[in-house]
Amino acid sequence: MTGLTSTVVRLKLSLLRNGLRQSGGRRAAYVASAVATLLFAALQLVGLIALREHEHAASLVVLLVAVLGLGWAVMPLFFPGGDETLDPTRLVMLPLRPRPLVRALLLASLVGIGPLFTVLMLVGSVIAVGHGAFAYGVAVVGVVLALLVCVALARAVAAANIRLLTSRKGRDLAVLSGLVIAIGAQVVNFGAQRLGSAGLGQLDPAAEVLAWVPPASAVGAVDAASEGAYGVAVARLVVSAGALALLVALWARTLTRLMTAPDGSTLQAAEPTVRDRRSSAGLRRLLPGGRTGTVMERSLRYVWRDPKTKAAWVTSLAIGLIVPVFNALQGTGSIYFACFAAGMLGIQMYNQFGQDTSAFWMVAMTISSRRDAYVELRARALALLAITLPYATLVTVLTTALLGDWAKLPEALGLSFALLGAMLATGAWTSARFPYSIPQEGYKNVAPGQVGLAWIAIFGGMVAAALLCAPVIALTIWLNVSAGGESWTWLLLPSGTAYGAAITWLGLRLAAPRTAERLPEILTAVSKG
Amino acid sequence: MTSEAVTGAAAVRVRGLWKRFGQQVAVAGIDLDLPAGKFIGLVGPNGAGKTTTLSMVTGLLRPDQGAVEVVGHDVWRDPVEVKARIGVLPEGLRLFERLSGRELLGYSGRLRGLPGAEVDKRATQLLDVLDLAGAQHKLVVDYSTGMRKKIGLAAALLHNPEVLFLDEPFEGVDPVSAQTIRGVLERYTASGATVVFSSHVMELVESLCDWVAVMAAGRIRAHGPLEEVRGTAPSLQQAFLELVGAQGRDAGSDLDWLGGGAR
Repeated sequence: MTGLTSTVVRLKLSLLRNGLRQSGGRRAAYVASAVATLLFAALQLVGLIALREHEHAASLVVLLVAVLGLGWAVMPLFFPGGDETLDPTRLVMLPLRPRPLVRALLLASLVGIGPLFTVLMLVGSVIAVGHGAFAYGVAVVGVVLALLVCVALARAVAAANIRLLTSRKGRDLAVLSGLVIAIGAQVVNFGAQRLGSAGLGQLDPAAEVLAWVPPASAVGAVDAASEGAYGVAVARLVVSAGALALLVALWARTLTRLMTAPDGSTLQAAEPTVRDRRSSAGLRRLLPGGRTGTVMERSLRYVWRDPKTKAAWVTSLAIGLIVPVFNALQGTGSIYFACFAAGMLGIQMYNQFGQDTSAFWMVAMTISSRRDAYVELRARALALLAITLPYATLVTVLTTALLGDWAKLPEALGLSFALLGAMLATGAWTSARFPYSIPQEGYKNVAPGQVGLAWIAIFGGMVAAALLCAPVIALTIWLNVSAGGESWTWLLLPSGTAYGAAITWLGLRLAAPRTAERLPEILTAVSKG
Repeated sequence: MTSEAVTGAAAVRVRGLWKRFGQQVAVAGIDLDLPAGKFIGLVGPNGAGKTTTLSMVTGLLRPDQGAVEVVGHDVWRDPVEVKARIGVLPEGLRLFERLSGRELLGYSGRLRGLPGAEVDKRATQLLDVLDLAGAQHKLVVDYSTGMRKKIGLAAALLHNPEVLFLDEPFEGVDPVSAQTIRGVLERYTASGATVVFSSHVMELVESLCDWVAVMAAGRIRAHGPLEEVRGTAPSLQQAFLELVGAQGRDAGSDLDWLGGGAR
């Protein structure tokens, strides 16, 4: 190891250590995630070894490594702050040559949980497919190559996009990562269920292609070697090595350019962006006057413009649609799943003031009575209803249409609206009583030290909302089980709606004095991000 | 105590104000009367408790003890009267940054109950005077520090408050913007309104203010008209250093290797 390499590796270790030293919670979180990762890695290692004799083992393993490579490629886009040694702009003042720097940074990135996990997964993969002495030899080279390709890929992508990642738009993009993960998980879940019924054989054609694509090609080489196709094995290794060389060269070039060219902060983007003013004036015309309209307008604008709020909304909208509709599509659905839409969107009422961040002071300066606080909270609830009511109705109607169970539409709608009302009521109250900060940078939705508070607010609130819905739920059950009750289930639509409206009103009434009395405390609680 | 305070024409009256954060005492018992119609500077080093004091005076932070009156109304018991009469530009707190400059002013003014047409008229004039007309449709998140201070000042002035509280309004602001802010504030105090602003830059306070309060370690060390506080010292900076006892801390011979000669 050269001097620079060992320095950078030690720097990385120090950063890791100092990061953990900052707080006990962070240390615990790191240790927990390390243990969880290792446990998971060990389990999949066992699983992959057990796959050894399975006929589709090679396809599965190649696909797995391809997904792993994809993960490495997108990771820096979503978690740009994850690795401080990764940011070359911090090293820009040091007299460093690109080649040794690239080598040092590449080796430094091998330190961490991610690379360890990758190594374990790769080792498992080659054990699953490797048979024979030649294959073992290829496996050793393959694991090293695949790991380096993964790491170099992440670095090259990060370096190429550092301008974007350090700009405001890039940070906005990073915030949407939670969304991609949430929706991706649903799609993977859906795909896995399909695969479960259709068999692993479906993977073979995709694996055929991916076995040539790095980093999966390194594992593909081991598979080829096991089957005696030595030429193919060597070719796939060469492809992997070629990809590594290409990635490193690409990375080195971007790095050199980054370290020698002026960055975005010195080039002022001066031209003023002209927005369409008529559209915003149009929005105002649709809304009521006074504080109500003003607050609604700001809330609705934030749904679209603020990345955190947008991510939360899109997640809620997507899950609220996916759960009932996908379940209905798969034939496992129930019309009552449609309540998911109302419940998920109702969550947006929670921590209203935390969503304002410390800008809440502007609101606090204008609330001088309980009445002001009530109007403020009611306007926020109305803004939420402007989106949620039509959406929940749409999802319920869509689910009903897929299930063909039109008779149950009124009661599903009634339940949805009652649940929405209960969520708004508990959301308003917990917003006043248990506010917490939402960090504006990164993907976290709770500031360090306030996780307990957030759990109390969200889960306590949701349990309370469920309890508050109990009368409507009980009525639904009673009408469904009692003789002749089914002809009266339409009653649930008006009664559920009325109940939801009443309980929202009550929640806002109770939350308003708490808000008005606790303005400084709320401001302190939401200013930690 | 100054003559203004005795006659009762105080814009702000503070009595026995305390604030602790855990073990640390941020504000250790402040009694202060700020005269109305003056350009008042609250000076002190970083960590002296200026921001904490201004936050408590404006009702954004609850004091552990003490009372605050603004234009004769108690900040905590009578928020309706106080909040309508003050404008605030806090330090370290965000604005609604995902609004454009114009939208932010529209939001702020309407939230305070001003009629929409009046808000739009005043916003246009403020944006013009503060040199923000060209950036009025840009999101505040993309503003520079100076532009943020200016839009924050515009939002604080929009409802024509009697007393304006500004926490470090010139921090990180370029000279051109600073001059613009200064011009607006001078015009505003000339009309009889009161400006209270905090700063750790003595030269600035000296050139702007006619009344100062010097703060250090959570206490008021001196207050009164500028000439009185400055006394015989050649500058406010010197007077301040004497007050907080930071004189004679020379670099000495410890850094004798620095500059010239062998590296």
